[in-house]
Amino acid sequence: MSTEPERGGETLQRHGFVVRKERLYGRLIALSALLTILVTVGIVLALSGRALTFWSEVSPIAFFTGTQWSPIINGSYGVLPLVSGTLIVTVGSAVIALPTGLAAAIYLSEYASSRVRSFLKPALEILAGVPTVIYGYMALVYITPLIDAVLPISVPLVPAGVPVLPEFALVVPSLRTFNALSASIVVGIMIIPMVSSISEDALSAVPDSLRAAGYGLGSTKFDVSTRIVTPAATSGIVASYVLALSRAIGETMAVTMAMGMSPRMPRVPNVLRNLSESGQTMTAAMVQIAGADSLGGITYEAMFALGMTLFVITLTMNVLAELVRRRFREAYE
Amino acid sequence: MATEDTTVGGLGEASDLRLKRLKGVLFEVGLVAATLVGILSLVVLFGYIAFDAVRPLTASTRWYLLYLGVLVAPTAAYTLYARREPAVREANARAFAVVLGALAASATVYVVAESVSPYDVLIYAAFGGVPPLAVAAYARVSGENAYTGPMIPVSILVGLAVGGLAYPVVRPSVGVLAAWIAYVGFVTVPVAALLGAFVTDRRTLRDGAAAAAVVFGGALAVAAGGIVTGVDTGVDPSLWVVLFSTGVVPVASVAGWTIRRTPEGRVGLLGPVVVIGGVLLGATLERQLGVDGLDAYLTPTLLLQSWDGLNASNAGVYPQVVGSIVVVGFMTVIAFPIGIGAAIYLEEYAPESGWRGRLASLLEVNISNLAGVPSVVYGLLGLALFRNALGFGTGVVIAASGTLGLLILPIVVVSAQEAIRSVPDSLRQASYGVGASRWQTLRNVVLPDAVPGILTGTILALARAIGETAPLVIVAVATTTYSPPTGLFSSATALPLQIFAAHSNARPSFRHGVVPAAGVVLLTLMLLMNATAIVLRNRYQSER
Repeated sequence: MSTEPERGGETLQRHGFVVRKERLYGRLIALSALLTILVTVGIVLALSGRALTFWSEVSPIAFFTGTQWSPIINGSYGVLPLVSGTLIVTVGSAVIALPTGLAAAIYLSEYASSRVRSFLKPALEILAGVPTVIYGYMALVYITPLIDAVLPISVPLVPAGVPVLPEFALVVPSLRTFNALSASIVVGIMIIPMVSSISEDALSAVPDSLRAAGYGLGSTKFDVSTRIVTPAATSGIVASYVLALSRAIGETMAVTMAMGMSPRMPRVPNVLRNLSESGQTMTAAMVQIAGADSLGGITYEAMFALGMTLFVITLTMNVLAELVRRRFREAYE
Repeated sequence: MATEDTTVGGLGEASDLRLKRLKGVLFEVGLVAATLVGILSLVVLFGYIAFDAVRPLTASTRWYLLYLGVLVAPTAAYTLYARREPAVREANARAFAVVLGALAASATVYVVAESVSPYDVLIYAAFGGVPPLAVAAYARVSGENAYTGPMIPVSILVGLAVGGLAYPVVRPSVGVLAAWIAYVGFVTVPVAALLGAFVTDRRTLRDGAAAAAVVFGGALAVAAGGIVTGVDTGVDPSLWVVLFSTGVVPVASVAGWTIRRTPEGRVGLLGPVVVIGGVLLGATLERQLGVDGLDAYLTPTLLLQSWDGLNASNAGVYPQVVGSIVVVGFMTVIAFPIGIGAAIYLEEYAPESGWRGRLASLLEVNISNLAGVPSVVYGLLGLALFRNALGFGTGVVIAASGTLGLLILPIVVVSAQEAIRSVPDSLRQASYGVGASRWQTLRNVVLPDAVPGILTGTILALARAIGETAPLVIVAVATTTYSPPTGLFSSATALPLQIFAAHSNARPSFRHGVVPAAGVVLLTLMLLMNATAIVLRNRYQSER
């Protein structure tokens, strides 16, 4: 500040103070960054503590291979019916969201003008921003009756007149009040933006020289989009798929409200029955346990065991997505 | 022969080309359909919910004609007129923003202070607000500003701590005041001071003092008027104080400022007048003429009453709305500073190499993984942390806010990181070049430039938090409550929880009535937040 000699000491002192102040601020900021690690550590500790207590009472083998989940009535803690519920919703929502999201991403990245994009992208983001409790309500109160109005549909797999077991006719039976189909539909809608935004990033990151080369060889826009840009962005698209599925697995309120609370093993071979009937996902089971008031002890700890399982599954999928993205990204840079 | 061949080949090529074009067109149509299918189905579902909540078929044709005349037609005419002039458009947008913002701020301040008790708010505002002001004033007078920066947050914390200790002593003597005096204390005084400082900055100290005095005197006059008329109408004079201080004052200031700065745009200020006037006129005429209006479920009752599981026309979500605001507001206080701090560290401080560089990349990976953790799992963390480890009561506000804060932390960090990253490096270099330290650069150059981006991300995170249900269910927040939270350690409540609790109520008046109406309230809150964020982002990007 001042260069007068008699004030040099003060300036030095001030300089020392500034250095100390800088260090203090730097530490405070680093501390808040470290807190985010503590959140992860907290999650792992909170889940594993109770979950281990649970698994010391109920053997992990019984937990992971049991085919009956009925903690309150007869104390059986087999997680497979819940896993199957989660799987049904995940597959159902994937059928809706993965193609739709990819198509939206291709449109936004390759076809849409920047004006259209600036309007459509926030609109798509809204799909992920709508509270899931609203999605659940819409599935239960509006979508189910709407679909039920056109059901049941029967599509025979074998010509009429051939005597076969009814299981081999592809019957879409009428929906129950709580059903996996409407839950899958809303979960599918809410994960579309996850697929579309991450895939779009990957598609836009494909260098223009590849597109130009394609056009130079006489390709149409269709060819360039489907045979050059999309394959070139595969790693990002796969990553977006995995992340979206992970979100579907962890989705809670919509499936709790729309799919109900009756855990069951999947039905084969008439797989469509799985969609029309109610079920229970892992997340819904956790909500049910948390919502029941006077439950103590082992059932309460079962909630943490479920949470631990869920956490490990989603974490694995997220890490997997990141690995896929990293591993195949360098190719075009 | 040769010519025949080319003709055949040419024809083949032409039809081939046509096929290719058809394929391309079909593909594009398919893509557009896929992009729109999610949005359109959501719009349809919103339509169902809004239809059940508002019941547009219950109103008579005369009602529609009435509102067409007093509201829709004038608004449309005005909009067509105002669109043409950029200055008018600008003033119009600003007028709507300030009117809506001021109304929202007034309502929030009043309902939150009412539920928490205005006396408590006054005490903590005084203990938390006076020390930093004293520090700042001392720094101004003495010219010693080296310690001011660190001292201000410290003084706030110390002040609040002292306030907590002194609370039992102070509370009885503060409690003898009328409630509206407390409101004057923590609403009018800061507003008057802010306006005074603002005017002083632009004009003279005298003008600033005069502006502050006008605000203060106005609030007292309004309170006096409120006490006199309150005997008849039963309206709390505090409400008038709040409406005047956080509603009328900002609107009048912005209006005055606009007229002074851009006189050619002053017609734009009429926009909110046309709309609000139309609504009020319509409501008056509706009553005077006895027109059959809407028999909607989305009514003032819904916003002012507490829940009634038996009688739909008496059911409301007032405690839940207040609870959502309190929980999300306190969550912001927890998560915002930590999230921004972490983002600053990762973008500005963390080195590229060495063990600290590895730590920083670990932090990055960790944050992106946290963002993917299902929200129920955060609920379990909140349960274990706040109830089992810290021993707070079941389903209290601080546990709910803390859980949601942990949940949105990664979102805040990532969006703040993006905002900080988008600040051009040349600005930093210029700041270092004139001898600023790292912190000074951050405070005076980087953060001001990144603020709109950070705000956008934060508002989006809040919009996400206000709809979160699963973690709150897991931390055992009561799904149905009849009173709003009164403090950090009282029972929390939130709007989405009420919707969850009532979703199994099969009575038609609930299933296709009150619950969709509550859903509309929740969706409106969430969409308004999203719209604010998008408008903010677009403005900010176009300024760049």
